[in-house]
Amino acid sequence: MVPGSVARNEVFTIKAIIQHQMETGLRADDTGATIPRKIINRFVCRYGGAEVFRVDLHEAVSANPFFEFHLRATESGRLEFSWEEDGGATYSLFHDLVVT
Amino acid sequence: MSLTRRRVLTGVIGTFACVLAPGLKRTRAADEAESFIEEWTGRKATPSDRVHLAMPAEFSTGYTVPVGISVESPMTDNDHVKSVRVFAPKNPLVEVVQFHFAPGRSLPRVSTRIRLAAPQHIVALAEMSDGSLLMAKTWVAVATNGCE
Repeated sequence: MVPGSVARNEVFTIKAIIQHQMETGLRADDTGATIPRKIINRFVCRYGGAEVFRVDLHEAVSANPFFEFHLRATESGRLEFSWEEDGGATYSLFHDLVVT
Repeated sequence: MSLTRRRVLTGVIGTFACVLAPGLKRTRAADEAESFIEEWTGRKATPSDRVHLAMPAEFSTGYTVPVGISVESPMTDNDHVKSVRVFAPKNPLVEVVQFHFAPGRSLPRVSTRIRLAAPQHIVALAEMSDGSLLMAKTWVAVATNGCE
């Protein structure tokens, strides 16, 4: 959730969530074999191309990782949200922010 | 006299234990968190009321325990929070999450949800731009193991 437009220098709130199992690598399947780790290991928010907020996730972040964080509106520009998964896959979302 | 010597002694020891136990527990817990950080990072951290770690004292499930962290900081180029790390020392993997902030662009205030394996002290460690480490801790009791 991102606001559509904000006033210059205003602080605005972003709520970001991705649906993901966050398999910790600590669990066993029915046969007793360990289920390999597969988690989102990094979340990055870029604003106008610059990294403004980053999270390194470890196994203990809950499934469906959720973050609420706060940015200062400096200029109109693109917000980019990226979730990086074990194995190299990346999921991205964009939002064009209008600063008035 | 109905009180035997043994009873009197037991009574005295019991009273001492009750009076001393809460204080001892608090002292030991604080020391444990600080020594944990020193062992983990190789550096000393200072307990600071500039670091706020908000978590429920009791929570029904260890799978999704809410965490709120904020650090008092002007977030200027010369004086800002570089990152905040969260540790759950009683989890099978103690490092939980690390947040990185940018001076002038982001506020050092964030919420998320984490897994806890057992009731424990959670530690938040803020690395400041001058290199100092500030920490806060809070006790969280969970009813179920969120790491299985």
